[in-house]
Amino acid sequence: MKPSQPKIAAKNVQVFYGDTHAIKDVSVEIEDKTVTAFIGPSGCGKSTFLRCLNRMNDTIESCRVEGDIRLDGGDIYDKRVDPVQLRAKVGMVFQKPNPFPKSIYDNVAYGPRIHGLAKSKAELDEIVEKSLRRGAIWNEVKDRLDAPGTGLSGGQQQRLCIARAIATQPEVLLMDEPCSALDPIATAQVEELIDELRERFSVIIVTHSMQQAARVSQKTAFFHLGNLVEYGETGQIFTNPTDPRTESYITGRIG
Amino acid sequence: MSEQHIISAFDRDLEEIQAHIMSMGGLVEDAIRNAAKSLETRDEELAQQVRKSDKAIDELEDLINEETARLIALRAPTASDLRLVLSVLKVSGNLERIGDYAKNIAKRTTVLVETAEVSGSAVALRRMAREVRSMLHDALDAYIQRDAAKAEEVIERDEEVDQMYNGLFRELLTHMAEDPRSISACMHLHFIAKNIERMGDHVTAVAEQAIYLVTGQRPTEARPKADKTSQTI
Repeated sequence: MKPSQPKIAAKNVQVFYGDTHAIKDVSVEIEDKTVTAFIGPSGCGKSTFLRCLNRMNDTIESCRVEGDIRLDGGDIYDKRVDPVQLRAKVGMVFQKPNPFPKSIYDNVAYGPRIHGLAKSKAELDEIVEKSLRRGAIWNEVKDRLDAPGTGLSGGQQQRLCIARAIATQPEVLLMDEPCSALDPIATAQVEELIDELRERFSVIIVTHSMQQAARVSQKTAFFHLGNLVEYGETGQIFTNPTDPRTESYITGRIG
Repeated sequence: MSEQHIISAFDRDLEEIQAHIMSMGGLVEDAIRNAAKSLETRDEELAQQVRKSDKAIDELEDLINEETARLIALRAPTASDLRLVLSVLKVSGNLERIGDYAKNIAKRTTVLVETAEVSGSAVALRRMAREVRSMLHDALDAYIQRDAAKAEEVIERDEEVDQMYNGLFRELLTHMAEDPRSISACMHLHFIAKNIERMGDHVTAVAEQAIYLVTGQRPTEARPKADKTSQTI
């Protein structure tokens, strides 16, 4: 059952913020068409590691990334790789919904436009509709595509951001606590969406909700103090984790 | 896991269901002891008492079921907490069954006191019941102390109980062949022996839960099957 090649292979990754050693020798293989959850207490490095996967850390002056991260076998930190192109392939959704101060349509059309994915207006319309449909928000916004994205409710904004992220047809979607600002219904809608996205992409989600990790992911990675402590099948992690630190964390003990 | 939860009420809930298991275990041990004693001393009054006290065991099982369901709903236990909650459900079920067997022994005792004594069987049944009660005690200790090695020992001891049962089976057959007037009593005694043998199986299941709780795995070795009477002619 094991796929021949991992979607993302990280080897001996180290991250430093100035003198702070934030990620300590992390190696992990992320499978394609799988939801992988990164869990761990605040400051454990899970978001930092996530941001390495589409070079979002490049934008932080003091941040230094070492080691080897490969997407489909290609080194993403290679000098010839354009980070903007990389981020079209490895999309990202953030904790706080952050639609552009533009119309709903333009929010989604922005990525395909700058990457030249549509040759005509009709083609662009199609991409926008398809993305909004996949983002499970089409029915709610189809009659007001010209309305500002910022006018939507929090849950709708987040689904709009997901639609925006998938409009460039990424291969990997990184989600950094995508539901922490959402109510349970919007959360359930996003989780349902994540499950559907898995058919096409590899999804990596950082979450503080253990139950969410258990609900949406097939693989779970537990980070602690910059180390990847345990990585395995989600069912196993939540019934019989190997490392006592994982056990302490997921059962809500001081550890 | 000796560490405490950040939410201390979670610890209290888990301790409570385990405390219920221990009181249930205490009641079941008493039931085995008194059922065996009533049989040996032909004490009808004590037998009646065993029959009545089974109600308290059943009520504790209901209480454990309710509290476990509540705990799962409210606390969403994971990892060793989840295994504890699942094992509590199973262990309480096993204890309830053992209680029923004790009750059945008491019921048969009230009939047996009306018949002539079958020599020898009382001593053997007492030994068998004592062994099962001691195994239950150790299995519950192993469970509460998270002692997988001790639980393994209990599982091995079940073979002894099975052998005692085999011995009694043959002995009772001989009695019945020699003196057909003893058949009625011997049949009851045989069911009592079978009840105790079944108790041993449930005790083994409790010990297996102790191992599951500690290791997250069911014991792998096929446990000894020493009850050969189903193949005996």
